[in-house]
Amino acid sequence: MGMNINRKYIVLALLILIPSFVNLGVPIYNRDLPELFGIPFFYWFQTVWLFASAGFYIAFTYLKGKDT
Amino acid sequence: MIGQDVIVVFVSLFILFIALGFYGKFWRRGDLNHVHEWSLAGRKLGTTLVFFLIGADLYTAYSFVAIPSGVFAKGSLYFFAIPYVMLTFGIALVTVPRLWTLSREKGYITASDFVKDRFSSPTLAIMIAITGIVAELPYIALQIVGMQAVLTVMFAGSVNAQTVEEVSLLIAFVILAAFTYTSGLRGATLTAVFKDILIWITVIAVIVVVPISIGGFGAAFKDVKPNYVTLPSSLVPAYGTLILGSALALYLYPHAINGVLSAESAQKLRRSTALLPLYGVGLAVLALMGILVYAVPQAMSFLSGFPESSRGILVVPSLILSTMPGWLSGIALLGIFVGGLVPAAIMAMAQANLLTRNIIKEFKPNLANNSEIRITKISSTIFKFVALAFVFVVPATYSISLQLLGGVLIAQILPAVFFGLYIKALKKTPLIIGLLVGIGTGIYMTELANNFGALTTSLFNTPFGALYIAVIALALNLAISFGGSYIYNKASRKQNQSN
Repeated sequence: MGMNINRKYIVLALLILIPSFVNLGVPIYNRDLPELFGIPFFYWFQTVWLFASAGFYIAFTYLKGKDT
Repeated sequence: MIGQDVIVVFVSLFILFIALGFYGKFWRRGDLNHVHEWSLAGRKLGTTLVFFLIGADLYTAYSFVAIPSGVFAKGSLYFFAIPYVMLTFGIALVTVPRLWTLSREKGYITASDFVKDRFSSPTLAIMIAITGIVAELPYIALQIVGMQAVLTVMFAGSVNAQTVEEVSLLIAFVILAAFTYTSGLRGATLTAVFKDILIWITVIAVIVVVPISIGGFGAAFKDVKPNYVTLPSSLVPAYGTLILGSALALYLYPHAINGVLSAESAQKLRRSTALLPLYGVGLAVLALMGILVYAVPQAMSFLSGFPESSRGILVVPSLILSTMPGWLSGIALLGIFVGGLVPAAIMAMAQANLLTRNIIKEFKPNLANNSEIRITKISSTIFKFVALAFVFVVPATYSISLQLLGGVLIAQILPAVFFGLYIKALKKTPLIIGLLVGIGTGIYMTELANNFGALTTSLFNTPFGALYIAVIALALNLAISFGGSYIYNKASRKQNQSN
């Protein structure tokens, strides 16, 4: 991979830290509006965020590649 | 009373489940007289199978029953299970592949194997093995509580309901013990795939059928109390620490590590871990049922026939029965039922490995290979029946209390197991003291928070709000482990210089 080693590790760290920060930042999503299909924001956001987290984690896995 | 169609589908699918469990012995054949073949399926599981196996491990009958139950009784606080599973896979991505790699190189089967080798400390390894075995027991008991909820709903109104229920559970466990004994993790893996297919059918059916039957999600949220819509601000610290503490603890449970070590490669393990948050969608849908049930009059009137304390765990099974056609109910109820059996098998297997390799072998180092595997198989059978007996003897609420404590305990092995993977400076003595202090304060705070009575909460009131006790105890444990190692290293450097 042509990427600078340090930069690669910073990106890898961010791919784990960004979804974790959102998960633990409860006030970010602790609100009722906007609703989706009548479901308060609190519930639908966290459910949709599951897909986003999987996206971050898949990116992490591919960037990490075969090294252990 | 339930229709015949429910029973017919339930029983026929259960027979298929048994067949798969026994067939496991012949699947990807290996010499099952080796521990890694029996309990890790030869370390040959690819991305998809690890996904299903760890999925079955982590999203269990208990989570499908207890999370909706908590949401039903207490509201939004219990939705912490969703961000917690998300966070746990991020933590797993940076820790367990390394454990996998070391285990493949050095033949570890358990986390204690790693700790013993890494810190050259049988004492620390035994303490970690005991913590794992103890924390796992109520977890198995809770799977049985989840399975019981399914049977309670199915047999409601029939004569001798409780006897029928207990006999059914006993039969299910005898069968489970028999195929785990012969097939090991291979049987568990095949049945895990089967269980996951049924669970996904259930989740899709629930998300289509239930909102339609009540006229949309909005209808359910209109009439609930405010703490069911969003989190009261006083509970924000509790929510955050519950996410953090549970996420840190999950992959420390012996059954999770057992699943991890059965992967074929570190990269396949990472791939399946990255995809596992998607499984959480099913959990989120079922969690919402704890609120939607309030808008289903049929289910509510059915639930009103039970004592208030046991209504929660019956929410999902009774919603299924009261909104779905009989055959679909049969599929869904069996999905939850075997969703308890599969993880129970893996949990007991993981306990047995700890007992045999890290405790018995420590005192009988010359144990022959075939004695080791025999003791492992027999003790895994015993652990299952101990949990079953526990559920029969004490009320379900005790299992739930002990599970709260189990989470606090298992989190305390984190410094040795996760930080031990990366940080060379850690030393065994501070880790041992840290573990003991973490466990001691964890138990004491749990007792204090519950006024030394029945355990109903794992939150401790602090000046920063109510916090999850596992996190507080772990903070102390980490401070001692790192602080102690720092002092130890500094002292030994000084000694070297003066020499």
